Amino acid sequence: MHKLNVENLHKKYGPHEVLKGVSLNAKAGDVISIIGSSGSGKSTFLRCINFLEQPCAGKITVSGEEIRTRLDMSGSMIVADPRQLQKVRTKLAMVFQHFNLWQHMTVLENVIEAPIQALGLSRKDAEARARKYLEKVGLAASVENKYPSHMSGGQQQRVAIARALAMEPEVMLFDEPTSALDPELVGEVLKVMQALAEEGRTMVVVTHEMGFARHVSNHVMFLHQGLVEEEGNPAEVLTNPRSERLGQFLSGRLK
Amino acid sequence: MNMHEFIAQYWKAYLWTDGYQLSGVAMTLWLLVASIAIGFLLSIPMSVARVAKNPFIRGPVWFYTYVFRGTPLYIQMLVLYTGVYSLSYVRDQPLLDAFFREGFNCTLLAFALNTCAYTTEIFAGAIRATPYGEIEAARAYGLSSFKVYKRVILPSALRRALPAYSNEVILMLHSTTLAFTATVPDLLKVARDVNAETYATFEAFGVAAALYAVMVFGLIWLFRKGESRWLAFLKPQTH
Repeated sequence: MHKLNVENLHKKYGPHEVLKGVSLNAKAGDVISIIGSSGSGKSTFLRCINFLEQPCAGKITVSGEEIRTRLDMSGSMIVADPRQLQKVRTKLAMVFQHFNLWQHMTVLENVIEAPIQALGLSRKDAEARARKYLEKVGLAASVENKYPSHMSGGQQQRVAIARALAMEPEVMLFDEPTSALDPELVGEVLKVMQALAEEGRTMVVVTHEMGFARHVSNHVMFLHQGLVEEEGNPAEVLTNPRSERLGQFLSGRLK
Repeated sequence: MNMHEFIAQYWKAYLWTDGYQLSGVAMTLWLLVASIAIGFLLSIPMSVARVAKNPFIRGPVWFYTYVFRGTPLYIQMLVLYTGVYSLSYVRDQPLLDAFFREGFNCTLLAFALNTCAYTTEIFAGAIRATPYGEIEAARAYGLSSFKVYKRVILPSALRRALPAYSNEVILMLHSTTLAFTATVPDLLKVARDVNAETYATFEAFGVAAALYAVMVFGLIWLFRKGESRWLAFLKPQTH
């Protein structure tokens, strides 16, 4: 069974079609990198998977449970049951480009919040989980009472990854997790992500880090103008691109 | 009458009772606490309504805050105290009659509605300024709309609103000096009565001014405490 199955996703902003039918299948343990130039629709695609953006058409299934949708009076697709969407979202933990930690909560409060409020864990169990995953992302116990604004970007993003892990999700969604970091902080976050990939976690990663796409992921999707232009094994796709667009995209950056 | 005799004779009236009921500082603080408490509790749902997308929810709250922020508190008190009671409909309803006959009730109502209007706008502004990414993260992690408000938007907004809100509370303390117009024996009314009785104008109002200043310092101290506790996340870190 697939952990995540996205079928024929469409998204329009007014007359502008950002996604023109994009599909994705992730088995357990798959690490899928989505690459493409800005405006190609890769972040929109990721944000449609958990309905932070409302897709116009398409089907999303998480661990066999399809997000139920219906058509509203104007004929646009909307979520049929908000409670079901909330439940599915707890299986799709997201890591954001700008971390999006809750600034008024300490590190520990950030990590226990959703397990308590959305999964219904007791505070004690949630704290045990939080400490386990904070340690996993390499944060010492001494940071747990700090506020996010008192930490470096790399530390904040690792807290955000611990927050995602504490949900024990089926699939982790990463939306350009290193794009907002100072160059010297990118490594610490990528290392954590690599360790998660090696543990067999299912991950969908929108990224500009070609090194990550090539060496850590087992599948690469190249989006161009709202369509999958090319996809496959990273070693093949990134070394010998068949499409001209991908060739141009790759030659424009250092390897 | 020297200062010593003055204080010996009137300190009770200035601080808590004129012999019949609460008066002076105690009455002023009671008016302040009651109106602030009512205004605060009402302003939370109202500020959420104020930022609603639906104009039928947002509109009435906008109109209410516009009216109460757009007219002087003194006028609001006159309307609620003398104006409302002049309506025969109000005098004919036993409940309304009993409520509006009391100067204290009218005063408290006017104060609560007035501070609620200002507080609603302060909180609504803070809600609007909530970083959108934090709301998005809460939704992405499976929190319901209600919980997104309860756990993220309101706790964050109320904290960030604290400095502006502390100003509103201090201004409200100063506004309680209008209570004497509705015969409520607040601190200023005691001072006016003492002045009329003794003609010791400087002492009568000077003591009241000093007591107001002490109350304001107390409030500032309380809010400082609150800010260092609840706004620690906004402070630059000290090593």
